[in-house]
Amino acid sequence: MGHSGTEHIGSHDLIEVMGLTFHLDTLIMTWITMGIVIVIAVLATRRLSIVPHGWQTILEMIVTALLGQIESTMGPRGKKLAPLFITLFLFLLIANWLGLVPTFKSPTADLNTTLGMALMVVIMLHSLGLMYKRGEHLKSFFKPFAPFVVIKVVEEIAKPITLSFRLFGNILAGEVLIIILGLLVPMWFPVPNVVWLAFSVFVGAVQAFIFTMLSMSYIGEAISEEH
Amino acid sequence: MVEINATLVAQVINFLILVVILTKVAYKPLMKILEERRAAIEGSIASAQKEREEAEAMKAEYKAQLAQARAEAQAIVAKAERTAKESRDAILADAKREQARMLASAREEIALEKQRALAELRREVVTLSTLAASKVLAENLDAQKNSALVERFIDELDKDGSGGLPC
Repeated sequence: MGHSGTEHIGSHDLIEVMGLTFHLDTLIMTWITMGIVIVIAVLATRRLSIVPHGWQTILEMIVTALLGQIESTMGPRGKKLAPLFITLFLFLLIANWLGLVPTFKSPTADLNTTLGMALMVVIMLHSLGLMYKRGEHLKSFFKPFAPFVVIKVVEEIAKPITLSFRLFGNILAGEVLIIILGLLVPMWFPVPNVVWLAFSVFVGAVQAFIFTMLSMSYIGEAISEEH
Repeated sequence: MVEINATLVAQVINFLILVVILTKVAYKPLMKILEERRAAIEGSIASAQKEREEAEAMKAEYKAQLAQARAEAQAIVAKAERTAKESRDAILADAKREQARMLASAREEIALEKQRALAELRREVVTLSTLAASKVLAENLDAQKNSALVERFIDELDKDGSGGLPC
């Protein structure tokens, strides 16, 4: 789990269960992330009141901001998916920031996590598209005219890849640079490390937001009433 | 360095579990409280609006009542003035009538008194004249005849215009 040297960057502790290979460190970090998100959610909603206090204010701010985005990008159909996107944002935010804690790694620095999320989004957009628009969803691949299907298919394949690699690359690069800065800069001059850590906090928030917003617009496009 | 394996599926399952837990623990209560707050704000705005309308209605009513009270007061004052004037006129008229009546009765009385005085005087004059005449003539005439004689004499005097008293 720890970063004892450059040779460990991007490598994972493997575990075999029933013939399947898992990254144990990623799983443990994911569970820690889930634990933190649940603790924040519980803290924020433990004593809910009409006049918000403390954590409730922060969570409400995030939730209402996301709800506004959901409503504007996805319309009334998106309202049912609101918990999913709010959870996605909170999960990615905490996951991105977790790697900034010494000895911890971001779950999102593992391509399995980001690709998993991205594939989930893509599968959801197609199944929701089929559910709401039936044949219209398939027909949209051949619009404005049939040969466009090539471009559309490439676009659909590109969606999960860009979504997952963007997040994975940003977070992994952040962690790598933290380790490298630790090796390059002497202990008595921590300014670059601090600056990069602060920037990583910003990048983590921005990447979580971008991933959530793109997921919203992909799914919103698939379930929107007019196409 | 980068390999895709069963972790991918595990992560998706982890995430979906998190979605379920968060929906139960946080999302639903939070939505409820947001809805409650919206309702509370809406309610207080509505009640404030209602109260303001009520206050305005009350103000209008008070204004109307005030105007009515003022008009009534004016009417009462006007009526009182009219009544006062009427009673003053009546009293004055009464007084005038009374005065006229008193004046008339006083005049009547005076005239009566004068008549009586004149009659008395005449009788006295007749008696005196008779007495004087009888003394002068030293002849006792019948009193009745004397009186008639003097009466005639006086009447004649009146006709001549002599004798100062107007009769």
